[in-house]
Parts: sequence; C-alpha cells; structure tokens
Amino acid sequence: MGLRVGVDVGGTFTDFLVVDDQGNAQIYKTSTTPRDPSLGFFRGLDKAARHRGLSLDELLGQVDTVVHGTTITTNAALTGDGAVTGFITTNGFRDLLNMRRGLKDRQFDRYAPPLPLVPRRRIRVVGERVLASGEVLVPLNEADVRAAATFFREQQVEAVAVSLLWSFRNPAHETRIREILEQELPGIYVSLSTEILPQIRVYERHSTTALNAYVGPVLTRYLRRLQEELERRRYSGALLIMQSNGGVMSPQLAERFASNTLLSGPAGAPMAGIFYGGTHGFRNLITIDMGGTSFDVALIRDAEPAVTTEGGLGGHRIATPILDIHSIGAGGGSIAWIDSGGMLDVGPKSAGAEPGPACYGRGGTQPTVTDAQYILGYLDPALFEQGELDFDAAAAARVIQERIAGPLGMDVVSAAAGVYEIINNKMAAALGVVSVQRGYDPREFVLVVAGGAGPIHAAPIARELGIPLILIPRASSVFCAAGMLISDLKHDYVRTCAREFDRIDLGEVAALYREMAAEARTTLLTERVPPARIELRRSADLRYVGQFNEVEVSVPGDGEVDSATLAQMAAAFHQRHDALYGYSMSGAPVELINLRLTGIGRVDQPHQERYALGPADASAARRGNRRAWFDGGFVEAPVYDGLALVPGHHVAGPAIVVQPTTTVVVPPDFELLCDEFRNYLMYPRGRNPDELCRALR
Amino acid sequence: MNAASTIATIDPIRVSVIDNRLDAICREIGLTMLRTSRSPIFSEARDFVTGIFDRDLRLVAQTAYIPVLMGALPYAIRSIAATFADDIREGDVFILNDPYRGNNHPPDITIAKPVFWQGQIEFWSVSKGHHADVGGSGVAGYNPGARSIWEECIRIPPAKLYAAGQLNRALLDTILLNVHLPFLVEGDLHCQVGAVTIGERNLQALLGKYGPQLLQAAIGQIFAAAERQMRAVIRGLPNGEFSGARCIDHDGINKDQMITVRVTLRIEDEAITFDFSASDPQAVGYVNSTLPNTASSAFLALFMSVGSGVRCNEGSLRALRVLAPPGSIVNANEPAPVTGCTIAAAQAIIEAVWLALAEAVPEQVDACWARWCAPATMGFNPRTGRFFGDIHFMSKGGAGAAYGFDGWDHLGTVICAGGLRSPDPELHELVTPYTVLQYEFRPDSAGAGQWRGGMGTIYRWRVDADNIAAANFGGGNRPETAPFGLAGGKAAPPHELYLRKGDQIIDVDTESFYSLAAGDIFEIYQSGGGGYGDPRRRPVESVRDDVLDGLVSVERARLDYGVSIDPDTLAVDAAETAQLRHPAGGSPR
Repeated sequence: MGLRVGVDVGGTFTDFLVVDDQGNAQIYKTSTTPRDPSLGFFRGLDKAARHRGLSLDELLGQVDTVVHGTTITTNAALTGDGAVTGFITTNGFRDLLNMRRGLKDRQFDRYAPPLPLVPRRRIRVVGERVLASGEVLVPLNEADVRAAATFFREQQVEAVAVSLLWSFRNPAHETRIREILEQELPGIYVSLSTEILPQIRVYERHSTTALNAYVGPVLTRYLRRLQEELERRRYSGALLIMQSNGGVMSPQLAERFASNTLLSGPAGAPMAGIFYGGTHGFRNLITIDMGGTSFDVALIRDAEPAVTTEGGLGGHRIATPILDIHSIGAGGGSIAWIDSGGMLDVGPKSAGAEPGPACYGRGGTQPTVTDAQYILGYLDPALFEQGELDFDAAAAARVIQERIAGPLGMDVVSAAAGVYEIINNKMAAALGVVSVQRGYDPREFVLVVAGGAGPIHAAPIARELGIPLILIPRASSVFCAAGMLISDLKHDYVRTCAREFDRIDLGEVAALYREMAAEARTTLLTERVPPARIELRRSADLRYVGQFNEVEVSVPGDGEVDSATLAQMAAAFHQRHDALYGYSMSGAPVELINLRLTGIGRVDQPHQERYALGPADASAARRGNRRAWFDGGFVEAPVYDGLALVPGHHVAGPAIVVQPTTTVVVPPDFELLCDEFRNYLMYPRGRNPDELCRALR
Repeated sequence: MNAASTIATIDPIRVSVIDNRLDAICREIGLTMLRTSRSPIFSEARDFVTGIFDRDLRLVAQTAYIPVLMGALPYAIRSIAATFADDIREGDVFILNDPYRGNNHPPDITIAKPVFWQGQIEFWSVSKGHHADVGGSGVAGYNPGARSIWEECIRIPPAKLYAAGQLNRALLDTILLNVHLPFLVEGDLHCQVGAVTIGERNLQALLGKYGPQLLQAAIGQIFAAAERQMRAVIRGLPNGEFSGARCIDHDGINKDQMITVRVTLRIEDEAITFDFSASDPQAVGYVNSTLPNTASSAFLALFMSVGSGVRCNEGSLRALRVLAPPGSIVNANEPAPVTGCTIAAAQAIIEAVWLALAEAVPEQVDACWARWCAPATMGFNPRTGRFFGDIHFMSKGGAGAAYGFDGWDHLGTVICAGGLRSPDPELHELVTPYTVLQYEFRPDSAGAGQWRGGMGTIYRWRVDADNIAAANFGGGNRPETAPFGLAGGKAAPPHELYLRKGDQIIDVDTESFYSLAAGDIFEIYQSGGGGYGDPRRRPVESVRDDVLDGLVSVERARLDYGVSIDPDTLAVDAAETAQLRHPAGGSPR
C-alpha cells in the first residue's frame, strides 16, 4: 500500500495530509487559488514532494489514492457564477422554482429578495401532466420541448435541468425530454429530477435538480482539467471526490451528481471524528470545528454520523441526504457588538480574513473573538509572526475598550472575558441543537475538537453541557482533510412510496428496494469496489397519518420486507418520535412516505501507530509561564510545547499547550493527557481517564 | 428602589447569555410544533406562535412564525391566570379559545403550561395555533354567514386540559365531539401539549442552572434593553399626529358596504399611541376585531417597518399604547362574531398604520402587500377515504415594493410577514380531492414603481369530489382595497376569483360560501404588491428585463413605465421612450 493524500480546499488555505502505510502523517498548507483551484492543488503536492526530496511526478508514483474536497461548486452557487442554466417544467407551473415556497428568512428585516438561480425567461414550460397515481393526464408535447431547445441554443445555455410534476411516479416524460435535448443540443449537460432526487415535494426536487445543473458543468470542467494533469504526470492511482453525505465518489459520478459536493466542505470533520474516536473504541461523539467565521457541530451515534435532507445553500434547497452539520456564525473572526438596547452580543457578523481581527494588524477596527482570546492570554503572538502577520496587541485592547468595555462601563479584561463567555455559550447551545433537541443526552458523548482555535473553547463548552471527555487530535487543524482519507464510497437512493401502513404492498416495497440495491451495486462496481466490500443499508421515512414531516427509521434485513419488519419499523418510529418531540401515539395509524437505500463501498482504514504510555511528568515539555485569565483573574499559567509532549504526559490546569497551528487551553478544573496515539484527552480534574474511556465506549 | 438595586448587580454578560437561552427555548417549542403537527395549517403554513412568560405574566420571549399573533399571547395568559388564580398546580395544562375570555379569535387555540420550580410558578410555556376546525357552521372555522359567536365555533373558556398531569378526558371529548375534523384537532392538541412540555423541560433546566432570582433580575434587564431599543426608534420619528384609513371589503352579510378602520398615530418623544377611535362601529358579520388582535396588528405594522430589529417583549411594548373603543370594528362587544379578524380586519389595521407612518417616514415603510383571498375547504376525500380540511395557502400575493428594492414575489399576506410557507402541491394532491391546474406568477399583477411590487400568483384547481364546502375569505377584491403604492408608486390591480361550473362562470366574492362539486374549477388571480416611487424612474433595462421575463406586458411597460418596446423584436425604442418619460422635455413627473 502506497501513500494516501487528502486535499481539502478551504476559503483561505488548502490543507494537505499525506499518510504512509505506517500511519505517519505530514501536514502541509498552501494558499487557495480561487480562480483555478487546481494550481493550489499541484503546488501543495509539490511542497509535499520537495519535503520528501522527490519531484512531483515521483511523489505521485508513490501515491495510490488522492481524496479531494473541493468547494468549487459551493463558491459557484454562492457567487452566482454557475453555468448558464435552462429549466424545463410542467405547463402551468412555471415559477415553483423561484417562488421558493414563499418564505422570507428574516421576517422583520427589510431587505431585497434573493436573485433567482434561473431567471424566468430561461424557465420553459412544456405541455404534459402526470397525476399522483402515475397516470398521464396530458401527454408530452414534444414540439414544446424542441422549441425550448431552440431557445436555449440562442441563449447559449450550458446546462438544462428538467423537473416535472409527479415525475418520480412516472419518469417517461423526463426521459423523453432528455432524448430530445440530446438530439437538439448535443453534448449539453442535462439533469433530470428523476435521476437526482426521485422523491415527493416539488420545490425541493426542482431546486436540487436546478442546482445540480447549475454547478455540473463547472465541476466537470475542473475535474477533467485535474485528471488530465494527473494523467500527464502518469498518476495511476485513484482520485476520489468528497461528498456532502460524508462519503466519497469517483470523478465520473461527481460530474453527474455535482450537487452532492455543494455542502462537502465541512463533511470531512465528522468522518475524522469517527476515525479518531475509533482509536479508543468511542462510538458516540460530537465533533466541533471552529473556523474564522463559522462553528460546525455534528453528532455521531454508534459510529454513524447523523444525516438530514433539510439542507440549503444561498437560499436554495438541497434535499438529498447530507451530513447533519449544524452551523452557526461563531468563529475567531466573529464580531462582538452592543445592540441599540445596550446588550452585548457576538456574531454572526465576522471580520473574515480581510481585514480580520484587530490584532492581526490589517486594519480591523471591530473587536472579535480572536482579540478577546489574545487579551485573555490564550494566544501566543509568536505563532502569528510565523504566519506572516503583524501582530498588533495594542489594537486588540483598543477596540475592545472603545466598542465594548467603555459603553458597558467595565474594564477591558472583563469585557474580553464576557465575549469569551458569550461565544462559548452560543457554541454550547449549538451542541444542544444536535443533541438534546434530537433526543440525545450529551453527557453520553465524547467531544472531538477540530480547528486551530477549537481547543481554546472546548473545555468551557464541555463543562456547560456536562460532557465528561474531550478528544483533541494532534492534526486538529487539518481535521477535514484527515476525515476525507477515511471516508467510504457512499451513494444514496430514494423512492417515494406514499402508503398508509395497513395498505402497504409488501411486494412493491421489496421491488423498490431491489431496484435501488441493483443501482447501488452497479455504481459501486463501476467504481472498482470489490463485491465483498459493498454494504447496503435501508431505511424509511415514516409519519403519523396526516402529518407533514417524517422521521427516518432504519429497516432491518435485506429489503424483503414482511409484516414483522413493518411492526419493527412502526415500533422504532413511535420511540423516535417520543424522543424527538416529547410524545408518541402508539396505536395511531402510521404512513410510509419514502424508502431509502445507501450503498457503501468500504475503503481501507489507515494504520494508527500505538505507543506505550510513558511517565506522567511533562516537565521536559514545559516552556515557562504566561499570564492568562482563569476563574475571574489572571494567573501565571504553565505553557507546554505540544510537539514535545509524549504519550503518558500529564498536564494539570491551569495550563496552555501550544502547537504551531493549535492552542489548547486547560482550565483549572480540567486535566490533559497525551494518549497512546499522541492525541490529547482532556477531562474534569480528579477524574480517572481510563474509567472515563471505559464508561464512554 | 429595591428591584433596581438588584438589577444593577447583575453582570451584563450573564444577561446576554440568558437572553440567548430564552430565545433558543422558545424556538425549540416552535420547531417541535412544526415537525409534529397534523394539520397543514400548522406544519406547512406555520400558522402558530410560541412564547415564554414569567411569573408576573410578562412576555419574555416569543417565536412568531405568523406575526399577527405576536401581541395576542399576553391577553390569553392573563385571562388564564386570573381565572384560576389560586388553583394552578404543577402538571396542569390550560386551554382557551374564547375571544371574549382573552383569546384573539376562536380557531387559534391557546395551550399554556405553568412551569414550577421548588413549588412556585416561575414561567409559563405557551403555544397558540390555528386549528383545522373549531366547529360551528362554517368551514374550518370560517363562517362568513355568522351573526354571533355561537354560530362560529365551540367556545372554550380558560380550562384545564390536564389537571396535575391527568388528562381531562371529558373536556377533550367535548371539544372533539363539537368539531368536524376531530382527527386533526386531536393530533394538533397533542402536538401543542408536547411542545409546551419541551419548553417546560428546558425552562426547568435553566432554573436549575441560574435559580429564579438571578433569572428574574436578568429578565428585568432584558426588558429594559428592549424598551431602550423601542424608545430610540421612536425618538427617530418626528413628533406629531399622522393618520391613515383603510377599508375592509365587507362583513359577509352586508356585501355592498365597506367598513373603515381609521387610525391616528400620536408620536410623542419616546412613545406612540395608536388611536383607532374614529373607526367604524362593529359589523354584523365576522370581520370584527378583538382588542388582542387589534393590538397585535398595530404592533406588527410597527415591527415590520420602523421597529425592524427591535426585540418584541414586555419591555418594547411599554412604549406603545392602543386606544380601541368598545363596540367598534376594532374592539367588538360580545357576542359579535370575530373569526375573520386575523385576516380581514388585521390587514386593514396594518395598512392604515402604514399609511399613517408613511406620512412621517415613507422610506421606512413598504408599499401595500396583497391581501389574502382564498378559501378554506372541507369535505370527504374518496381517494383516501378520509375527511379533510385545508386552507389554500399556495395562493399568495406579492409584497409591496420598498425604497431601494422590488417587492418579494408570492409572499403575502402581510399578517404573516413572509413566514407563511406555501404547502407542497404534490402533498396537497395526496390529501385533498383536487388536481392543481395552474400555479405560477400572474403577469402584470404588481404595482408599477421605480421599485416594482412583488408578483402575485395564478392558482387554479379542479375539484375531483362532490359536496365540498368552501368559505372564501380575506378581501382585496375591489379597487379601494387593492394594494396601494407609495411615493408615486402605483397600486396593484385587485384580485379576481372565479368558480367555473361547466359553462357557468361565477364571480367569487370574499367572505362568502360556495359549494364545490366534481369537475368544478376554482380560479384565483392574486394581486401583486404596490409599487414604490415614480415608475418612470425605473431603469429602462429593468423594465425590459421584466418584459423578457413575461412579468410585465409590452402594453403595461408603455402605459405604466413609459418604456416603448417592440412586441415582436422586444427592442426598446429609445426615442419614443424618452418622449413618453419626459413629455415636455423636463424631468420625470
């Protein structure tokens, strides 16, 4: 087995993680090159190659898998820089896509409506109508389709999305429209809703399909360029693309299902959490990832990340399954401000990377979380200097004094401590959303922390929720790239089968599962997954008859559903409904809405070298003291060099552990242990880490 | 003052943290309702509000998906607390729908649970939502023929649905026996009780963490902050009296008689009085408003315009006063029917307040939004073998344009402020015996302006079963009640509604009953929003874009905007446009 490389393109930096078959990992970072991200891609690989004394081509000769997380589709959708897209839908229903179900997010704010993904002139209606039964009420008017094609040609349309009413009940019209478009507009990118999301709810289907067409050509062009360059350098390994559902896919599939990459940016973190948690046998985890502008939280139960179909981007809905990552506007750049009533708040506005926090010395005039961290003594200015920043300590104090401390009549340090406390509380509340609000007790979970600044806040967040153990991987700052390397190939399928439970046709359900299973197997085989590594999982969306929202439950067995399976599903549904919403109605009629199947192709997990635990005394890693704020006052807190901490080393709070890209704050009521994988465990003072680990397994 | 000294000792950081927590709890009560309700009116259209009150019955936090309910909760909770004064126990859940006992209108059933801590009531966890049916001889609660409250609904006074955790089966059965759709009503009552119980659980956790004293002190600070916000907003307005008047189409009984809501806003330094004294007397039919609904509508008009961004709680409401004389259209006396108040009356109240505010600060007020006008329908669906009840929430008009941007499309009615989610047409066809024929923007439906109103919609459906009862309600069907423009912007055209029965075409009026049979086609052509600013100042390119998008016709481009576009080539005739826009060679009118 050769090298495996994870490449995660972020807004500012592209992260690289190169892992050998012994599990030794190197981290590299390059600046992201937004105009053509493949430049940064190869520059980073070149850096890794030179570090090993190799040429880029020589390095590629040793690599057998590159996993790539790209935000090229995300950026295109957010900036309106996608393909010139046409949209074909049912006559009489021209505007369902742009009506967006008639919602305005911030009801009391006065602001302009969002720009449409596809302007009305490029939304063309065609004569046709299928009924709920699948029966054709109005046959397809092919002349309408040809007229639309002619218009699209004039408009130089690059991609066409086709989404018709009830098409998932009878896909014939959409299929025929594709045939006509391929005749009339050879080579054009076409997305059918029956392929992207054959599922009830028309706006959700429209929007997901339109987004797929909108970003499809952009991703296709990018991936082809990347593959050509890799081929030119005689790379013979695999290239895999990260998806929003926490799985990876081949570039060929990514071209067709481009929308599956739209929310892939944060999807690596929960997968990394599963991997690092797995080293200790932990299966119930909450992962947090704190960046410059946002804070992402995900819950993992039984080593499976939570999944949702309620995603969205830039005001458009994405209804395919994605990892359920709850994101709030809370990061290092989040701005602290006082509202017109005199109350202190932090975020969601961020100073971003430019100008950034005031202490970055780039002209930032707003107090941010990073400025507060600095005032409290948690950040080491020396680290910034390596990062080519002119650290401006005075600016941090000045903006906090002017904007917060002065108006509130408090001193600068108390104001900074307030900013720290408020952001910690907001982050803790975000953890509550994925745990307590979903019916889970956070005290039964291990907190896994990512992002360079995450470990500064981890202890107060855990304390707030009663989480007993924190796991901080040493590669915390390139967490997402690490997650990509261990992600399996994963494809989701759905079929709507809306039936009350007592009217379910078991044969129909089994047939639909067989159909999805065949599709999943074929796809995974084309991605060269050996049959023995293919795994299929089935689930179903259920609700009480008459409800309008569903709860997903897993379906045991091989898809040949019988009445006993139905009873199990119903029981699981009542139980889950109760946990989620405070009540259930056993005995009340239940209805099935969607059947789901996920096809998984298992990949090899990297080896993690395990070291013996040595003595606890960490004084060899001690690097003096720093004045830092703990428990309402400044103390001289010991500072440790994280790179010098070895397995078994023990650090009691108050203390600060410093690494080039990460800072860990250990408050007085916490302790930290360097574990046998050279990662950190942090836990409340006086607790026994072995016992905690056993209890949480 | 003792209270003040306590407050002064509370750390402002803690106050912010607690403020965030209370908002989060309130949102969670709302999310629970959204995910578990049965009636599409809750779960799809989000027609409900959730709130938290403190032990002194002060509104602490609320989540108003349908904001016209925002001011209604305090009246309901005070009524419940007053009725049961010494008889409130842990585990009680209260219910109320009677508009003459503190509720806003009968379909919005209030469910409230006192939250105990160490034997004392510390909070109330509350939800109020629009049920699919509350009995009476109307459709889904709407009875445009009603002349009294008894014809509208079953009246539920403040009562215990649960006493110390025990369900009052007799009361629940009484309610369910008196409604047409017990299946939906029972499910949604469970959903509300579940939601307030989630709220109780979270509030108790908060009490465990901070204790009641600290929380009370923090809440005092939160109120003070909201009050400062509101008073700062009012300081920014000119002092003086500003008036506005708008009409309700009619009351369902006297169909040729419009009813006028008149308001005078008295702005005095840091306070506003909404004086509705000059409004018409109460009506015979059900468009009468109750005081909770009138106050709520007036507050909403403010929070959607100049008060955008101000927290809505006890504190911010301190700066506002509502004068609504008993016996008038804005504060009817028992036993007048009132179900139409949250739509017909509320729309007229909000519009009148906006007209008054626009006299003072036009740039901070939207042009008029399209009124609601669509039916509630109820009957038996042979496709599912079940009874159904629904309101046609897909049919939405446009929002008014504002200084700086076009109005939002398909967003109305104003009482929902953009929180009304249109149901999915496919799910709708699964539950109802209908086939949707058309659902898209209505060209030329928006008021012209430098900023154009949002687009209204066309919504047409075929009825596939017999014996369906329909009650159409809302208004906006006449030029006087169509959306007005502001600052030179034009009005939008009124709604048009038709019922086709074979060759017969019936003009559908507001506040009226219709009977639907298989094969009938119901057609709604909704207004867009009013325009803002002189349409001749709208950039020619924007007008042409609207023509290319089929939103504005070549004729209206010429007549309303003064832009001449060739109907065949869609090219702009620059010379003629200049002449149309500047007839005397001068500046725009």
